[in-house]
Amino acid sequence: MRGEKVVTGVYTYLDDAMRAIDVAKSKNLDFKTYSPTYVHEFDEYANDKRSNARFFTGIGAITGLISGFTLAIMCALDYPMRVSAKDLVAPPAYIVIGYECTILFGGLCTLLSILVLCGVPNIFKKPGYDPRFSDDKFGVVIACDPKSVDEISDAVRATGADEVLVNDTL
Amino acid sequence: MSEKQVSYSEVTDTVLNIIKPAGAGWYAQLIICISLAALGGYCWARMMIWGLGEAAITHPIMWGVFITNFVFWVGIAHSGTLISAVLYLFRARFRQPIYRLAEAMTVFAVMTAGLFPFIHVGRPWLAYWCMPYPNQRALWPNFKSPLVWDVFAISTYFTISSIFFMVGLFPDIAVARDKATTWFRKTLYSITSLGWSGSNKQYKNYAAAYLLFAALATPLVVSVHSVVSWDFAMSLVPGWHATIFPPYFVAGAIFSGVAMVITLIIPLRRVFKLHNLVTEFHFDAMCKLILLTSNIVAYAYITEFYVAWFSNNDFERYQFWFRPFGDFKVAFWGMVFCNCIAPQALWFKKLRSNITFLFIMSIIINIGMWLERFNIIFTSLSREFIPAAWGNYNFSWIDVGITLGSFGWFGMWMTLFIKFFPSIAIVEVKEIIHPPKRHAEEH
Repeated sequence: MRGEKVVTGVYTYLDDAMRAIDVAKSKNLDFKTYSPTYVHEFDEYANDKRSNARFFTGIGAITGLISGFTLAIMCALDYPMRVSAKDLVAPPAYIVIGYECTILFGGLCTLLSILVLCGVPNIFKKPGYDPRFSDDKFGVVIACDPKSVDEISDAVRATGADEVLVNDTL
Repeated sequence: MSEKQVSYSEVTDTVLNIIKPAGAGWYAQLIICISLAALGGYCWARMMIWGLGEAAITHPIMWGVFITNFVFWVGIAHSGTLISAVLYLFRARFRQPIYRLAEAMTVFAVMTAGLFPFIHVGRPWLAYWCMPYPNQRALWPNFKSPLVWDVFAISTYFTISSIFFMVGLFPDIAVARDKATTWFRKTLYSITSLGWSGSNKQYKNYAAAYLLFAALATPLVVSVHSVVSWDFAMSLVPGWHATIFPPYFVAGAIFSGVAMVITLIIPLRRVFKLHNLVTEFHFDAMCKLILLTSNIVAYAYITEFYVAWFSNNDFERYQFWFRPFGDFKVAFWGMVFCNCIAPQALWFKKLRSNITFLFIMSIIINIGMWLERFNIIFTSLSREFIPAAWGNYNFSWIDVGITLGSFGWFGMWMTLFIKFFPSIAIVEVKEIIHPPKRHAEEH
């Protein structure tokens, strides 16, 4: 986050937390929100871009499809035992292999997308995080310079925060 | 769940209450499960030393009890993905409180099912030969064989189900981490939650990826048991060589899997007082799913008989005479009663609301589904084409020990999971609760 300090507002009510986002946006400050569950109202306020997870999944699925067919076809060609007058390579029978590999590689790349896009594993760097956010409180963390900490803290308190915390940015 | 009556913190406290330090009951259950698993392990070890004959496997029923158990456990595994992925895509509201347990059941049931091919090969240290490696070891895997497809299907299903299960757990483990009081639990949950913080950016990407996972896992619901059914249907054995097998197996798997979810969740709900999270509404929805799949399965049984008659094929006709009137007729009629007749009671709302009745019914259904797999494997293999090759099966205590061991193994993992990780999805249950607002009308 941009800024040496973070001001964290701990909220019971979602609408109060959204007012704190207004404060951060009006002052053009970097902010982050925490919540006990996925709150779609924050999406609209935060103007977050659409997730890129689908690209990971798509690339993985296509790679899997190609790999599955390649594995089956190359194995058949590597041991060219012709039975009767049948073709060595039997693509219809390989659809199952291609299909399973599509799902498998797509799933593994989707897992990769979670790790990359959600920034996990990340055990230490959680500026302004408070354990209450996973239980029943909403959090708005605003990054700022040390000289504007008091001003931001007052503004956050005025939005109805239960508590305002000030920490260093990690 | 009546979401207006439950707050975020109530959800957290109710679910985390399950993972509080265990009482004597939990230890007793764990010891019983480990003992059963140990019995299975002993039987397996004995079989490795003295050979497959210890398990009564002999011609012509070479698949015996082990493949019956394999198909049974794959079927049990099935509904976890149905509940977690398919119902997620359909936004079914009864899914949230039950899907975590269903997913855990899936993963542990596949782990159990996966043991049986290892057990059945007799020399498990060579079981990796089943893996369709390319040709370096001169094994020349035949990618046209349903058995190789099955290796791909089951291993993909296990991988995707496990990832889906673990991904769903991250946010909930973070809740447990923030509430943990002991050093051990704090460390365990800090590592396994991967430092999840629940920021909006994380949730946004997570939700997108989770949706994609659900979309990927949904075809697996159909494909896994279809591929398992092709192990039978692609052969020419009377009673197996039928195109109805894939839909029939998929419906049967959902039927047994949902019944197993009920078997597991009723004691959990009672012991940990989860009545405000898992309500009669959830049981009612699951009962309707059971009723639907029971009727599909019953229709498939009737169709099999009709097609055998209509085919005018002596071998098929004999096979379907042998099932209800032959040496295994008790298993057949047991299957019909448990899978087709008994579940009809669920048409009545009063019985769907009776939790004790549902618990008994779920066990009846699972006995019936085990008998179904028994019927398919034993009757067909015992009466193939040539009467000189016919034969029967004498169960040995090794068969019984390994079967009981599989239940112990499955139960052991479930018991450990319930005590160490949130068995109800905290974050997703909170998602269906209206977030608290000071001025609701403003937003």
